[in-house]
Amino acid sequence: MSAVPTTTPVPAAPRQWRDGELAVLLLLPIALINAIGFILPVLNLARYSFNKSRVGGGIEAVFTWENWAGLLSDPFYLELVFNSVWISLAITLTTLVVSYPIALYLHRASGAWRTFLTVLVISPLLTSAVVRTYGWIAILVDDGPVVGAIKALGLPAPSLMFNIKGVFIGLTEILMPYMILALMAGFGRLDPRVEEAARTLGATPSRTFMKVILPLTLPGIALGCLLCFVLAVSSFITPKLMGGGRVFLLATEIYDQAIVTLNWPLASTLSILVLIVFGAALWAYSAVLRRLD
Amino acid sequence: MTKTRHATRAGLAALAMALATSVAMADTVVLTAYSGIFQENYVKAVVEPFMKANPDITVEFYGMPNSAQMLGTLRAQASAPQIDIAIMDVSVAKAATDEGIFAPMDESVTKHLADLYPQAKAEGVNAVGVTFDNLVLLYNTDKVKTVPTSWNALWDAQYAKQVSIPAVPDIQGTTFTIITDKMAGGTNYIESVEAGINRLAELAPLVQTWEPRPDVYQPISSGTAAIGIGWNARAQVYADLSDGKLGVVLPEEGSGFQINVIGLVKGGPASDSAKKFIDYALSPEAQAAFTEQMFYAPTNSKAAALISEKALSRTAAGAMDKMIDINWLEVAKIRDAITEQWRRRVIPLSR
Repeated sequence: MSAVPTTTPVPAAPRQWRDGELAVLLLLPIALINAIGFILPVLNLARYSFNKSRVGGGIEAVFTWENWAGLLSDPFYLELVFNSVWISLAITLTTLVVSYPIALYLHRASGAWRTFLTVLVISPLLTSAVVRTYGWIAILVDDGPVVGAIKALGLPAPSLMFNIKGVFIGLTEILMPYMILALMAGFGRLDPRVEEAARTLGATPSRTFMKVILPLTLPGIALGCLLCFVLAVSSFITPKLMGGGRVFLLATEIYDQAIVTLNWPLASTLSILVLIVFGAALWAYSAVLRRLD
Repeated sequence: MTKTRHATRAGLAALAMALATSVAMADTVVLTAYSGIFQENYVKAVVEPFMKANPDITVEFYGMPNSAQMLGTLRAQASAPQIDIAIMDVSVAKAATDEGIFAPMDESVTKHLADLYPQAKAEGVNAVGVTFDNLVLLYNTDKVKTVPTSWNALWDAQYAKQVSIPAVPDIQGTTFTIITDKMAGGTNYIESVEAGINRLAELAPLVQTWEPRPDVYQPISSGTAAIGIGWNARAQVYADLSDGKLGVVLPEEGSGFQINVIGLVKGGPASDSAKKFIDYALSPEAQAAFTEQMFYAPTNSKAAALISEKALSRTAAGAMDKMIDINWLEVAKIRDAITEQWRRRVIPLSR
């Protein structure tokens, strides 16, 4: 059979989108929603941070640096920022350490077992953080089962509730599902054959982990840490319920200033400060990603 | 041609309906006040009887968790108010007045102004007292065997780590600071609460939580905490619901009032009906009914005669001479300073 040259009819050319035109069109709706629902309120918040607060909760629409100057010169607020950042970092790190083995196990599991375990990991997200926090209060109070068990062992029982320890335990558990999901999403690059290759070439399990598994899962770790840090800094229900009024964090202070003291200008200033902390976290995340690439 | 006429007619009918609805809407009064147990009882004792007496007016109760959120909502609606009346804390009402949210409160709104106790009227606030409440001592009847009679019971070492105190900036904490200051020998809380702060520093190591949630009444009823402080009206209602677990005492040293005021929102949609409701809310009958229902002390001096002895004894009405006269508008000026003292000198001692 010889090839017969055929002439296929040329279809009518579809409308050609110019470079970027389609992208702009597709991005427009979300950009619009973002502008109305996020950018504008944040700008408004920034404007509020320059207003003057009157005694008793009134607001004077002037332009003053008073709130910012007060914030930066008062050691209480500097301590607040420092506390919020280090507590959130420590919680993030703990969440990472306890979530990593679970995520790795889940990544390697297969079939119905994997599905079952994944559902088990996600299921806490189906319950509100408030309910889980109350659960922790019942478990960790001074006459609760945990302290009771420690006492039964004859050990000096620490107070685990209504202080920083309670906040630490509660937030770590609440953030674990987020960390596990982020880690699993980042484990895509972890090919079992690479591990096998390392083992065949004589690497010990710990060396395989340090030199192969850990570097390959770093993007997942970075993502999980960013997510958990941001959630930890902004969480206020758990510190409010479990901190017993002893743990002062940025988020709880914003609540107190906005809802209790009615100092909206100061609350706005603190909110913008949180946004700056988030910006710094995002910058650190992208710096880590650049290094990894 | 006929079609056009029909369409026009239908359009006109729709327009008339819309107009009629909006006229009817004018008789819906929107009242904002505290949600939850306050709402439940206020609707029962005041709102429902008012609507029964005025079938042409509907009062819609828009509950919010606290005065700050009410102020926030009123601020957001400043150009086109949807709310006619607000019941809120007096110091927040001062801020609302300063921002021009409330219309003046005078004889054109209510004829009961002259009958109100002097504490119900604050200079520079376009709203008048509608309920008086006071701080009380709360205790769990299983854990505290002898009924405490003094605030000093809170300092009793046997209740260490069982004390529940809503700390400043919550005004329960502020009121408690003023009471403690007086007990510790302070003479003028506006000038200094030093004596009170020093005494509170001694209490700090015994405190279980400075932030009882969902409120101070539940943990004490359930026995999570043994003793604490809270507002009388709510405490009385929760005491009745607690099967005798929650005890409430007005200590012998006396206490301080918290004042909720009622204000008419400037430019609210149902101005005339709203005035009618405010007048009713301040009347001796409505005041008495709410005291019977929820044990807030009445602000109308003529109400006491209508209230049963049993209900009156569960308010501070019988102990007026022991009450500290707290000027909340002056306190607002020193609130930040008190908060700072607590944060630097009291709360850290409980860590």
